[in-house]
Amino acid sequence: MEEVLKRLGPESSSRLLRLRREGWEKFNSLPWPLKTDEEWRRTDPDSFRWEPAGFDPKEALQVSFETPAPEWIRSGVIVTDLSTALRQFPDLMEKHLFRTGRPLGLAKHVSLHEALWRQGVFVFVPDGVKIPTPLRVRISESAGALAFFPHVVIVMGRRSEATLIDERIGAAGGGNPAFSDEMVEISVGEEGTLRYIHLQQWGENISEIYTQRTEIARDASFLNIHAALGAKATKAQIETILQEKGAQADLLGVLFGSDSQHFDFHTVQDHRSGQTRSDLLYKSALKDSSKAVYTGLIRIEKQAQKSDAYQANRNLLLSDGASADSVPMLEILADDVRCTHGVAVGPVDQDQIYYLNSRGLAPAEAEHLIVEGFFEQILQRIPAEELRERLMSELKRRLNGA
Amino acid sequence: MSGPLLEIKNLHVSVEEKAILKGISLTIEKGQVHALMGPNGSGKSTLSHVLMGHPKYQVTKGQILYKGEDITGLKTDARARAGIFLAFQYPTAIPGVSVANFLRTAMKARFGEGYQPKEFRKQLTATMATLEIPEDFATRAVNDGFSGGEKKRHEILQMSLLKPELAVLDETDSGLDIDALRTVAEGINRMRGPALGVLLITHYQRILNYIQPDVVHVFINGRIIESGGKELALELERKGYAPYEEKTQGERQEVPHEAGH
Repeated sequence: MEEVLKRLGPESSSRLLRLRREGWEKFNSLPWPLKTDEEWRRTDPDSFRWEPAGFDPKEALQVSFETPAPEWIRSGVIVTDLSTALRQFPDLMEKHLFRTGRPLGLAKHVSLHEALWRQGVFVFVPDGVKIPTPLRVRISESAGALAFFPHVVIVMGRRSEATLIDERIGAAGGGNPAFSDEMVEISVGEEGTLRYIHLQQWGENISEIYTQRTEIARDASFLNIHAALGAKATKAQIETILQEKGAQADLLGVLFGSDSQHFDFHTVQDHRSGQTRSDLLYKSALKDSSKAVYTGLIRIEKQAQKSDAYQANRNLLLSDGASADSVPMLEILADDVRCTHGVAVGPVDQDQIYYLNSRGLAPAEAEHLIVEGFFEQILQRIPAEELRERLMSELKRRLNGA
Repeated sequence: MSGPLLEIKNLHVSVEEKAILKGISLTIEKGQVHALMGPNGSGKSTLSHVLMGHPKYQVTKGQILYKGEDITGLKTDARARAGIFLAFQYPTAIPGVSVANFLRTAMKARFGEGYQPKEFRKQLTATMATLEIPEDFATRAVNDGFSGGEKKRHEILQMSLLKPELAVLDETDSGLDIDALRTVAEGINRMRGPALGVLLITHYQRILNYIQPDVVHVFINGRIIESGGKELALELERKGYAPYEEKTQGERQEVPHEAGH
């Protein structure tokens, strides 16, 4: 395995090489999680157990992106794959890669990612640069891949502004069972604005570990729309750190499950400074025997007075076999804050169905319209019409059972 | 097809084993407006939902014939597509679904092949204008945060576009101020004609100043106690429901007496 780690590189950075080795050691020293671990009580850890023996670090993914317009390149905007970034911008990589801190949980899988990461994306928007049109990147599974470790780094400078649409696409025709262990690092500089739309459409052959960690500086704002439509099973941890005064985060999730898909999302809204605001809304609609687990923590630290935090999780069960667990958690150490949360799990409202039936819509058609409306509240905030429509038509297709 | 538009024959309806409608017979001819007047809790709304086929209500006896066909077992959506419309007393909110999207979907369901997407916008705008509904209404979510008056106008807007043959209006006048009442009543009057039958369910005589009924029924405790012309509504206005309620209480008292024999 030593040979594999060396081949993964990068030779240019002793820090990154050291981190890789440390990750590998940590991975080996930790046991695989058990069903009895608090973190894994609602999701079978065996779905995410992957043995690295015989791992071949060949290209398991295709990373593609739209090159920004020349004016933005001239301003110093970077959108590229990680290997290119390591070659062309070693200083930036040194400064930003693995710098947002370790995710709180999922230690075994995070260590594995740290040991075996290679392919991924680097997005950099320098101070003062505001890009009006969305940037786009996409990571696709290569046919025949067994395991992959995507890594995304997004760096927004002071007073910069951008929208990034980031997609995951499964191999055509499904593919063999595969394991994805991904990490996304985001930092938004002072007064910066990032809208990050993550669209997960892995095939149902993939089990996915996903960690995302965002640091938001003073008076900066972060909008995150995370749409999870694919994968057989997902265990995700999305941490948002409101680091400095005036930081704001709007965190939206759209989950659609069918067959026996399983989603487990853990979110953390970590208010570390005063006058910060976070507003989270995760919605899932679940068909067949799919399942969604949501655990959300709001933490307001002692010095974070006058913070404002909101968290809501709503689950629509579209069949008797579907289920959802929702667990809000609060850890409030400051005394002058506003903090509210709400949870709902239930089937489609029969009064709504009846009202639509009375206008001639057949029951299935009525249900579809209600589910569309359920997601509309989030989808309308996607700042790219084409993507919004694509997502809606994908949801419709899935509702229709295709 | 000839014969009446709607024929209700000795209809008995229960909810969770409790009898609500106790033998209703009512015939509405095409082109007629019938007013069904009764106090709160008499079962008026139950009748409206039974006509629309709400799954909660069980027809324990009797029949509903629509255009000569027994629709007693027909599902709600099939009734709607066949041209029955219910204006709800309490319309349901559908968050996230715009009025325009909702109406378009409903029109497609109602008219099938006959739905003309190109005409839809024009029709919608024109109908909204006659009902004095502002344009941005079409982008709002269905009944979500609507005022009482907006909900009722929205019901009449739907009725105008869906062109039913039988319209059941369940307390469409309730909660409306006088201007809104006039607008809504004018909307209904515009649709009156030989092809439409209306069952106007109301507590008050007020709306009948704007919509002239052909027949008035007094409805108390799950039964039609008396039927007559529009003068009956005025009589009700003068005397109130009390004399009629006494009449039904008298009937009820006879029941244990008879059972005792």
